[in-house]
Amino acid sequence: MKNTEALEQLVDALRCLPGIGPKSALRMAYHLLQHNRKGAAALSSAIANAIEVLGHCSLCNNFSEEPICSLCASNDRDASLLCVIEMPTDLIMLEQTRSYDGMYFILMGKLSPLDGIGPKDIHLDRLLKRLDTGLIKEVILANNFTVGGDATAHYVSELLKSRGIKLSRIARGLPMGGEIEYVDSGTLAQAMIERKTINH
Amino acid sequence: MAISQYRQENQRVYILHTYPFKETSLIAELFTEQFGRVAVVAKGARRPRSSIRGMLQSFQVLLANWSGKNELKSLNGLEWCEKLTVLEGNALMCGFYLNELMIRLLPRDEPYTELFHFYHETILALSVGEELTIVLRRFELKLLQALGYAVTLDQDEDSNPIIPDKIYRYEAEYGACDLTRTDHGIKILGKTLLDMSKDFYQDKETQQQSKQLMRYLLGFYLGDKPLHSKQLFVDLQG
Repeated sequence: MKNTEALEQLVDALRCLPGIGPKSALRMAYHLLQHNRKGAAALSSAIANAIEVLGHCSLCNNFSEEPICSLCASNDRDASLLCVIEMPTDLIMLEQTRSYDGMYFILMGKLSPLDGIGPKDIHLDRLLKRLDTGLIKEVILANNFTVGGDATAHYVSELLKSRGIKLSRIARGLPMGGEIEYVDSGTLAQAMIERKTINH
Repeated sequence: MAISQYRQENQRVYILHTYPFKETSLIAELFTEQFGRVAVVAKGARRPRSSIRGMLQSFQVLLANWSGKNELKSLNGLEWCEKLTVLEGNALMCGFYLNELMIRLLPRDEPYTELFHFYHETILALSVGEELTIVLRRFELKLLQALGYAVTLDQDEDSNPIIPDKIYRYEAEYGACDLTRTDHGIKILGKTLLDMSKDFYQDKETQQQSKQLMRYLLGFYLGDKPLHSKQLFVDLQG
């Protein structure tokens, strides 16, 4: 049976989601049309609206409806601290800790040399512009501890070298409540390499 | 060790690259000691609680189990097995370059045991901060030789010994010859070729010329598609 043009279009559109192939897309399309037409309408208008009103905050690069997002506009944050992170989800996680009250910059990705994702793809020009304001005294790199995250951290640190801004990277080691017996060797080895001096 | 030809256990491997596969899995390009380049699916490796999630990183020797008859195998287990190697800064960038070269040039499922050992030594050299240009030149030459491309350095095309202070033209697939004989390839000093054949890279001019020679030869075998990791290096210097 040949699908109608509208259905065909819907299936094709759904396939733009990560991990969705033709079969899953068709199943989703049928579900929306058959069982949840209201939901489908809400979904379509929500997507249209989000595309229309959401842009990037001119300071932190996060998604925002305003030119400057509420976090960046807040007076309660320490504007001399800037934490560089890879994804908006990282910001949510860091905010949950309630132990950081500085500002953020979101790269929206990481360097991945073998996939051809280079410096131009992670908004470093905007980061540099942010630093040009002269308000930032310390940059904290909160990149992932993957090879791509390490590469990104290295690249950003090279960019900042000449600017005389204090630069740090978040620490790593055993997780909270971590027991040496159950932790993986890589983490434990890293914790040993980066051990902390207690008495001077 | 090998239970059947389709199931391999406790094999020493390096991970060259990983990329997402379906919702929660990864495809990992392995460089294995016994079987050369092998591609495996790591099922569920992108789940938050996956036990191997943190291990699927490049530049570490790991012990892997895998099975399968097709080109794409299934990864069944992964374990740490050696001292943690830490590549930092430019050494890390060089590591990416090595991995990209291998992915581009090595065919899958053909053993390159000697090259595996050389790769291992190269990663260790990078991790202890040996001079990067020299480490890279050695590896590039070794890689081409392992692939079966004869890079003759101590004799010219006609099997005459190379004269140190003579300028030659070096052409891929042919070797060194008299300047007058061809316009192809690149100009190179005899001493550079001899130094390279003796694995001696201390001389600045040798470093510079051997870099040009390897760039030309790798370009010849890689074709037109540029290396991404090299571009990153260029961006970093600029």
